[in-house]
Amino acid sequence: MTPRRASRGAEEPDLDLFAPEPPPPPAPAPRAQKQRRPASQPERADSYPGETAQSAVTVSMLSQAARDVIEGAFIPLWVRGEVSDFKAHRNGHWYFCLRDRTAQIKCVVWSRDQRRVPASPDDGMQVVAFGRLSVYAARGEMQFTVLRIEAEGDGLRRKALERTRARLEADGLLAPERKRPLPRFPRVIAVVTSLDGAALHDIVAVLRRRAANVRLVVVPAKVQGDSAVLELCAALDRVNRWGKADLVIVGRGGGGREDLWAFNDERVARAVAACDVPTISAVGHEVDISICDLVADVRAPTPSAAAEAATRSHAELQGELRKLSLRMSSSARALVRRRADELRHLERDVAAASTELVQRSRRDLQDVAARLHALSPVATLARGYAVACDDHGATLSDVAAFRDEMPFDLVVRDGVVPSRVRRRSTDSEAT
Amino acid sequence: MKFEARLARLEAIAQQLESGELELSRALALFEEGVEQLRAAADELAKAETRVQQLAERASGTFDVIERE
Repeated sequence: MTPRRASRGAEEPDLDLFAPEPPPPPAPAPRAQKQRRPASQPERADSYPGETAQSAVTVSMLSQAARDVIEGAFIPLWVRGEVSDFKAHRNGHWYFCLRDRTAQIKCVVWSRDQRRVPASPDDGMQVVAFGRLSVYAARGEMQFTVLRIEAEGDGLRRKALERTRARLEADGLLAPERKRPLPRFPRVIAVVTSLDGAALHDIVAVLRRRAANVRLVVVPAKVQGDSAVLELCAALDRVNRWGKADLVIVGRGGGGREDLWAFNDERVARAVAACDVPTISAVGHEVDISICDLVADVRAPTPSAAAEAATRSHAELQGELRKLSLRMSSSARALVRRRADELRHLERDVAAASTELVQRSRRDLQDVAARLHALSPVATLARGYAVACDDHGATLSDVAAFRDEMPFDLVVRDGVVPSRVRRRSTDSEAT
Repeated sequence: MKFEARLARLEAIAQQLESGELELSRALALFEEGVEQLRAAADELAKAETRVQQLAERASGTFDVIERE
């Protein structure tokens, strides 16, 4: 028993709650342990330590003996009970009681064992705890050293999820406005997953089927087990430092709750949030929603769906090109047709305008003709008037223009009558 | 030019043509460019392939990309 105690003492972190261990006393043992005593120790049939007042054992010796007995009698086991008086001490360890209606036992979870426990239990929680029974000599108490705890109804995992979620939310990592759109045509897609998992196989199959024009770069990481969290974080960090990916898919195929647990780890979630390029999270099957899913820019229900969300198929792109081609040619045709129509309109306008011009000119001409006609002496003559002209054709309109015996022409409606002034009088008188 | 840029350019050309407010000569030039871009994009599409690789980091912090089957 002594070597076991020594090794246990070495693993046990220093606690200010715990008094320094006494040096191992010589191992006294109650009667019950007699048969377990090493053969090298001589059997003293007549007396044993503590049999008489003179041979009284020390408290330490008694307590040590009790500890050896208890630790030797129980292998690690599961215990059911209700949590009370939970305290997370500032030394990093957790202390609480497990009780039922008639009994209670003090429990401790060393800080190094807490990573196996999803979250600290709350008072009043019904739990089963796995651990080993021991004796805390400094207080003379039995103590249950707990290694794992599971709460009824998965209470601890729920609590752990809620806590992680709340912390991420407080840091704004779940905000919808943080979500980045995926690149429409990623050339390089990094996939953070395990090399031998179904996820990688499914993603590659989808991309090949769609003949997507991409380079898929696998960044291997364990996705379950103790090292998964750190490997996932390291792989995501590696993608950032490499810097050549347009998009990251992080995930794994379906599995038990325990198997998916790394994707609920706050460190992994923060590593996803820290990705320089958009992220798609694909963890397990449709129903499994992980913390990682909440932080990623896009949550895909399965790895296959992630591959589909990330890329566009050959057929889809061909369709897009066809549509563009159609739009271009039809709009170009429409444009030409519109220009031709405009030209035709113009032609008609010009024709109409020129016709109008001719008509107007004709009208103007008629007007002018009419006015000319009105002003012309011809019309006057037609009404019976006559005009006298000298031999140069100048109009003789005053008496003074006439001299006696002067010849002149008298112009009438249908000709010229050669005439002569007979005699001039003061009154104008022409014949 | 990347496929994505070609598509964006084609989209812009189609929109300009659809607006109908272009000189005929400009429209023709755009249409010609569009046809050229379409042909290039289709060629690129025909050459599309999916490659699967693996990222490995050297101790020096530099990276190797290794082909996988």
